[in-house]
Formats: sequence, structure tokens, C-alpha cells
Amino acid sequence: MMHDAVLTVLFYALGAFAVLCALAVVNARRLLRAALALMFVLLASAGLYLLLGAEFLAGVQVLVYVGGIVILIVFAVMLTSAADLLEDNPRFGRKLAGAVASIGFLALAGTVFSRIALRAPAPGTHPPDDASAIGRKLLDFGAEGYVLPFEIVSLLLLAAVIGGIVIARKTPPPGQPFTSGGDAPGEADIALPRSQRDEPEGPDA
Amino acid sequence: MLEFLAAHKPGHVEWLLLSAALFAIGLYGVLTRRNAVAVLIAVELMLNSAALNFVVFNRYVAPAAFDGQIMAIVVIAVAAAEVVVGMAIFVALFRHRATIDVNRMNTMKD
Repeated sequence: MMHDAVLTVLFYALGAFAVLCALAVVNARRLLRAALALMFVLLASAGLYLLLGAEFLAGVQVLVYVGGIVILIVFAVMLTSAADLLEDNPRFGRKLAGAVASIGFLALAGTVFSRIALRAPAPGTHPPDDASAIGRKLLDFGAEGYVLPFEIVSLLLLAAVIGGIVIARKTPPPGQPFTSGGDAPGEADIALPRSQRDEPEGPDA
Repeated sequence: MLEFLAAHKPGHVEWLLLSAALFAIGLYGVLTRRNAVAVLIAVELMLNSAALNFVVFNRYVAPAAFDGQIMAIVVIAVAAAEVVVGMAIFVALFRHRATIDVNRMNTMKD
């Protein structure tokens, strides 16, 4: 009983904290504050994962989301901050449309959730060692395994890395070769070894 | 007090409502923000709530399996890729146009 009571308290505390921080994310006028509030939402989600018994996922959430994605967003905010540091307040019609859409979604979802009955779960069969079980499942070749999505995700990440570099790098002015970065005109002379340059007055000519 | 709390243990409806609330807040942000980075942040909120939904269903429908958690891991990886490409696009756009207002992004073709 003690366990259930603690679970209830933690669920409602973390849930209220996550919802409040999410409201701060969409309403903060300074984008850095929005990014900070997003970090707290993600940390609260990691806590909720722990309550659900997904310890490995909570670790991944903290490492990848909080440690990686939020940092990237902060970089994006800082690199583009000269545009408009302050998000101006949206117009009332826009706010109203957004509020109607999101509250409508929430009402619809609430109605659906209160009417469905989930199949009763198989009693207490959660294996304690979930990190190694997830790893084995990710690399399983069988019908229940996820090795194909795993490989596709790795290709997707590679493509995202290459795409990010190509899109965000400085494009050279017209006439310059794409590889020089646009600011090293003598690069071709330096790159070729001396014996391969076509100079008529070499030392042994 | 203890009995009351133990009797009101969150079931799947409460968990799903929490995740739906987070998703709705993210939807509001996507619809109202004008700065592209803010829109990206709101999309992250929605992706996070979807991953939470996967884990909730994993816990309440098939607690012995790990399929929902693996889906959540895939969602996290895709979100990371999306943020990388989105941030690169915004930085390039800002360098060329000095704006990241989504209302003024309708002239990308020239």
C-alpha cells in the first residue's frame, strides 16, 4: 500500500510539473527560457519513465534529449538570436485558433480514453534486467526482432549528420571551387606536390 | 490518507490524459509561434508526449514485452536527426535572409 501511495504522489507531482513547464515552453517570450523549460519537461518525462518501469529509457532520455537535443536547440537559439530575440505576442485570433484546436484535441482524446477498456495485462512478468533485454531485442533477426529499424535509424542519423554539415556550412562565392570554403584561393597550389605541378622551369628541367 | 492515495493509483486513463495534455500544449505552440526555433521546440514537446504514450501502452497492455520502449528509443533517435537538420536549415536561412520568421519563409524558391 505504501508503494502505491508513493507512486500516486510521484505521478501527480511529476505530471503537474511537466504540464506547467510545457505551458512555460509555449508561452515564454524569451526563447532561451523556453529551451530551459523544455529541459525540465524532458527531465520530468524521464522521471515518469522511471515510474513506468523503463529504467533504460529514462537513461537514454536524459543522455540524448537533455544532454544533446536541448544543447542543440540552445545553439540554434543563440546562432539566430540577432533576428528577433523576443518572440512578440501572437495575435488574439491566432491564440484563439491554437487554443480551440488543442483543447478540442484534448477533449476528444479524453472522451476516447474514458470509454476504452484495455486488455488486462499478463500478471507481473516484467523482467528485471531490461537494458540487456532491449539490446537483445534490437539486434534480433527473428520475426519479433528490430534489427531492420535499428539499421535504418543508423542510416538516418548518418544522413542527418551529412545533411546538417552540408546545409549549414558557408557556401563559397560563385567561381570558387566548392571545397575551398571560399577563402583560400591558393589552395590548389598547396595541395599538389611539387613534382606534379606543370611548371616549365623546374629545378631538373 | 495512505489508503486514499493507494486507492487512487494512476491507471492507464490518467497516464494517457497526461500525455494527451502535453501533446495538446505542443500543438498550441506549433500553431501560435512565429519563430521557427520556437516551433521546433514545440514539435519536440509533441514527440516527447508520443514517446511517453508508447511506454504507457507498453506498461499497461504488454508489460512483459519491450516493443513500446523500443519504439520510444526510435522516436528519440528520429527527434535527434530532425533537430540537427532543422537547426542547420535555420542557421543557413538566417545567414541568407536574416530572419527565421515562419510567416516570411514562403519565398524559398528564389
